[in-house]
Amino acid sequence: MDLIRKKRAEAVNRIISKGYLSTKRVYVGMATCEIAAGSKEVMAVFQDAIAKGLTDVYLSQKGCAGRCNLEPTVEVVEEGKIPVKYGLVTPERAREIIERHLKKGEVIQEWVI
Amino acid sequence: MADKQYKLTFCDGSGCLKNHAREFRQLFEEELRRHQIQQNVQIHLSGCLGMCTKGPILIVNPGYIMYGNLRPEDAAEIVQEHLVNGRPVSRLIIQEDHLYNRFFRIFGDSEFFGRQMRIALRNCGVIDPEKIDDYLAMRGYEALAKVLTEMTPQQVIEEVKKSGLRGRGGAGFPTGLKWEYTAKQSDPEKYVICNADEGDPGAFMDRSAIEGDPHTVLEGMIIGGYAIGSRQGIIYIRAEYPLAVQRLKKAIEDARREGFLGERILGTDFSFDIRICLGAGAFVCGEETALIHSIEGFRGMPRPRPPYPSVSGLFGKPTLINNVETWANIPVIIIDGADWFSRIGTATSKGTKVFALAGKVRNTGLVEVPMGTTLRDIIFGIGGGIPNGKKFKAVQTGGPSGGCLPEKYLDTQIDYESLAKAGSIMGSGGMIVIDEDSCMVRMARFFVEFTQDESCGKCTPCREGTKRMLEILTRITRGQGKPGDIEKLERLGTMIQKASLCGLGQSAPNPVLSTIRNFREEYEEHIHQKKCRARECTALLSFVVQDNCVGCGACKRVCPVNAVSGNRKEKHSINPNLCIKCGQCYDACKFNAIAKV
Ligand SMILES: Cc1cc2nc3c(=O)[nH]c(=O)nc-3n(C[C@H](O)[C@H](O)[C@H](O)COP(=O)(O)O)c2cc1C
Repeated sequence: MDLIRKKRAEAVNRIISKGYLSTKRVYVGMATCEIAAGSKEVMAVFQDAIAKGLTDVYLSQKGCAGRCNLEPTVEVVEEGKIPVKYGLVTPERAREIIERHLKKGEVIQEWVI
Repeated sequence: MADKQYKLTFCDGSGCLKNHAREFRQLFEEELRRHQIQQNVQIHLSGCLGMCTKGPILIVNPGYIMYGNLRPEDAAEIVQEHLVNGRPVSRLIIQEDHLYNRFFRIFGDSEFFGRQMRIALRNCGVIDPEKIDDYLAMRGYEALAKVLTEMTPQQVIEEVKKSGLRGRGGAGFPTGLKWEYTAKQSDPEKYVICNADEGDPGAFMDRSAIEGDPHTVLEGMIIGGYAIGSRQGIIYIRAEYPLAVQRLKKAIEDARREGFLGERILGTDFSFDIRICLGAGAFVCGEETALIHSIEGFRGMPRPRPPYPSVSGLFGKPTLINNVETWANIPVIIIDGADWFSRIGTATSKGTKVFALAGKVRNTGLVEVPMGTTLRDIIFGIGGGIPNGKKFKAVQTGGPSGGCLPEKYLDTQIDYESLAKAGSIMGSGGMIVIDEDSCMVRMARFFVEFTQDESCGKCTPCREGTKRMLEILTRITRGQGKPGDIEKLERLGTMIQKASLCGLGQSAPNPVLSTIRNFREEYEEHIHQKKCRARECTALLSFVVQDNCVGCGACKRVCPVNAVSGNRKEKHSINPNLCIKCGQCYDACKFNAIAKV
């Protein structure tokens, strides 16, 4: 039991050390259904942006939450704020989310689920 | 919606309502108005949150601050202190120490998720499924540690029995009992199997569960192995799920590296490992005895039971076989306790059930709801109702083994017994909503075509019987139905149900018999009046050009058999003798001038 507590604490530390506490966490849905709807391309846009110097963002994938007709979905979580979930995200929309939401902090209302 | 400052979720489950949750909410709303901040908050009602003893419950987001045991006088304080001054009222906050329902913290999307309760899918769409760290952070493998260090195998079985968990793969057999039978066998060699064959057309619960949170399935299986005294687990999954397989493989490797799988797990005397077995994707291989044959390397054909796999299963050894979703529930039962788990649901069906909601509903998707939720709540609440202003006609549950329920059954509660009484089954979780545009005969035909195709051919009633049923149904949809066909279908259906070897055949007639029972008039119309009210059976339709035709010629150009004639800018016409009813003209017309009658 102690062992598992230790393992959990270590895991949490590892996650934090990877930048979990960045101001903004971005989750891209990556299940079969999401990928079929085009989430790989969306993920690539975010990865590209980080490679090109976008900072203060923790990028991660997640499984299908069950919002089939609105996939691909992208979630932006900020500590202390209500999570924002975007539906039907295309690469173009992803680029706009980066520009407007991640960089300028503007929530793009039309695409919010 | 995200511009609202606060999202408040009030538990509206029956336990909380008994504790005057509604009165509390009304008071609360008055307070909001008094402070004139009602425009800054968004209020949601949720289904039972599983904390009935602490009701009324209020969750304030952001921050996921949970208030409990609320009394009328607390409303003013929470509004004033928390919502106006931004200082949560620590005296009223309750610490919840539960594994389930974390999604409230994550999902802003509470119309869809608020009415759900996520136990099996608690981490799906929340964590990164490929990182064991993410799972560990969500108290992953804590249930395993608890079991290995604090519980005897017998205690684990007692806990699962007490929880009232029943199999989620279709038949609903009590899971604890199955574990107990398998544990009782004296053979030292035993197997644990996870059934991830998922053959129902349109079902994707198990795939999503594995892709979203593979470790919980592994953890459940390891606990099962400990409880029955087995060293080897096998996950039988169809090769058509490559991503799920890949994530499982990664999860197994990671779990081995961290010492959750393999020799001497977590430093105890217990050793257990899991391997993956790929299936070719036959529906019948989901049936447990056929599945076992398939793993052994034989053709996937069922055999008569008893002996049940718990006595003689894989390689003749006692085998514990459960469905993906069943396994995913186990860690929660261990951590949150059987007492807690068994408070959710109805008298005979405990916990939650995952459904793949599909068909003619606004929000298609994966939903997990407490047992006892009504079909109406799922379809019109979470599902958001029927799109395009169409009328609800029926809901099909249980896939090719299930039945169609019309409107009068909408208030049926989801549990094994109630659905069976209404004439369908719980099944593994397929739920297809049908609107007035769908023909019930075609629907039945679709499922029989599927089962006929997937029948393994071992027993005659299923092999031949489904074939004959399909022939009759095909004739009816082509306008060649004869008087007496309905009775013949009923006779055949009952016979196949009674005489087939396995569940596939025994349940194959269900879609037909239930549509006959509930929509007999549609069958009769097809047979006697050669009419299909949903206008789906093209053979029973004719295509007619109406007066608003502008003579653009679009239909004429697409017709593959030159059945359309008419001069430019004049009304065209379709020659019924040439028309093959392919429908291309109907789709091509931009003026809705072609009617199906
Ligand atoms: C034709 C047929 C197909 C089945 N397909 C599946 C399936 O895809 N997944 C599954 O878990 N159970 C399936 N079952 C049920 C299994 O035989 C078995 O009851 C189940 O795996 C037991 O696990 P549970 O008690 O956890 O539900 C099927 C049964 C039949 C008759």
